[in-house]
Amino acid sequence: MHELNWGLPVILYLFFGGLGAGAGAVSASVLLRSGGGDQSGPSFDIARWGALIAPPAVILGTGLLVFELGSFQAGHWFRWINLFMVINLSPMSLGSWLLGLFILVSLAYAYTFFKASAKPGDEQHNLRKKLAWAMVPLGIAVALYTGILLGALPARPFWNSPILAMLFLISALSTGVAAILLARALFGKMLSADDETVENTSAENDSYLLTSTDLLLIGFEVLVVFLFVMYAHLSVGAIEVAVNVVLGGELTTMFWFGFVALGLILPVLIEMKYVLPTLLYQKKYQFPAGMEMLVCGLVILGGFMLRYVVVIAGQVTGPVGI
Amino acid sequence: MTDKPTSLSRRDVLKKATGGAALIASTAAIPGVAQATTQTTKRYAMVIDTRRCVGCHACTVACKTEFDVPLGVNRSWVESIEKGNFPHVKRNFLPRLCNQCEEPPCVWVCPVNATHKRKEDGIVTIDSDICIGCKYCIQACPYGARFINPKTGSADKCDFCLHRVREGLAPACVNTCQGRARIFGDLNDPTSEVSRVLSTNSVTVLRPEMGTEPMVFYIDADHTDERDAARTGQYVRVETHRPNEERV
Repeated sequence: MHELNWGLPVILYLFFGGLGAGAGAVSASVLLRSGGGDQSGPSFDIARWGALIAPPAVILGTGLLVFELGSFQAGHWFRWINLFMVINLSPMSLGSWLLGLFILVSLAYAYTFFKASAKPGDEQHNLRKKLAWAMVPLGIAVALYTGILLGALPARPFWNSPILAMLFLISALSTGVAAILLARALFGKMLSADDETVENTSAENDSYLLTSTDLLLIGFEVLVVFLFVMYAHLSVGAIEVAVNVVLGGELTTMFWFGFVALGLILPVLIEMKYVLPTLLYQKKYQFPAGMEMLVCGLVILGGFMLRYVVVIAGQVTGPVGI
Repeated sequence: MTDKPTSLSRRDVLKKATGGAALIASTAAIPGVAQATTQTTKRYAMVIDTRRCVGCHACTVACKTEFDVPLGVNRSWVESIEKGNFPHVKRNFLPRLCNQCEEPPCVWVCPVNATHKRKEDGIVTIDSDICIGCKYCIQACPYGARFINPKTGSADKCDFCLHRVREGLAPACVNTCQGRARIFGDLNDPTSEVSRVLSTNSVTVLRPEMGTEPMVFYIDADHTDERDAARTGQYVRVETHRPNEERV
């Protein structure tokens, strides 16, 4: 087994960074979808949850990353500031600047939602709409870059796939959606206690939109996982040897059971059970709160398992021959 | 219609002119003529004649001493390859170090420009005062040549003993090699030993498929891997004395 230079802090960073970026991008797009952010109601509520999740998740992930730095561990605690002294074409350099920008914009975006009385048309209205337009591309860029960071290394055949970044992006969006739904299911009651009458009528529709989006995202994620594994398996040499680590190697159970079965297939099946009647037969959408939390928990767990398996698998495999 | 050929021929003239300049430059590389011109840039390379390596690890120790490399990490190390079924067996040695690649993937990924390939001599160096220790270069190196120095927290690796080479001395590993298996020198000097050895021997580099264009060449290197054992039906064991014991 090769040395694991990137351990749990990097895995957690990729997970929280993806989740936060996904939640931010979804929040902003849901906000803009409701009349460019002018309409009040459940969309605004969802956007609010996403906006409040994004900065802490990304800041937590980025903070963990600092602990993994050799310079930090050797006592040069602020050496990482060097990242912001230059900009070059290294994915990590571009990513650092992107992350910095995302954190600033997402903090400002969250600030516009921070007051309990935040609603469309308040004093933060215009700022919130402008920031939402920036949040969508920034969130997508941050989620994509985490995959590009790993994919840019020919010396790590498991990572060196053009579709890895796509996989990370879709996983980030889907865990972002799941985080919003979970937060809403857990804390939604206390937030919207005062104007319950308005909320409850359309809250169902709104959760339907997010859950069906999540269903679509996970569907695509399954396809991307299939393409990722298939193309690696069809290749010859280092890449084929590397992918064997999840096709009969030491990470097989973790990948197929922990990520694909628990994190993708099971939530997709549960979501289909509740979404398809509405989608196909226009029946009233009902998703029991307990089941919703379970699905969200599974999707989030799947997002973590994906980062875990990919980061470890990339490091225990390498070029073949000498 | 008349314009076009004229412009083309003008371009041709330019081409011929630059071609002529290149011709002059290439004649300058012929021995004898080269002595008249002053070569300012060097291209350092190393040839390792594994036929002369006895696996004594003097190079490993000299390197450790030269740089006071902490325990558990190595700038330079020797792998041993045991293979064959009794009585047809062989034990070969493969001294390893940073390949000082012409296309260094470690340099392209550094987010803080702490590592670069020196234009004046082609040595890939690390500035440990800039390096943040993100380990991205460690992941990018297909040869496992880089590591985090636990004392400085910076990425570290072989730099062809830049501090010695600058003073006209040979790298510590070359200096100490009992079998004279390591030959070091400037490829821009066609009379150097390394140039002569390189042009009169068949040489290989490690993992050429990575496209890194290494500047460390091997004569008679054993490229046997543990994966070859299944195909050849041979017993093969590759060992390094690095802490993880496996070749990376």
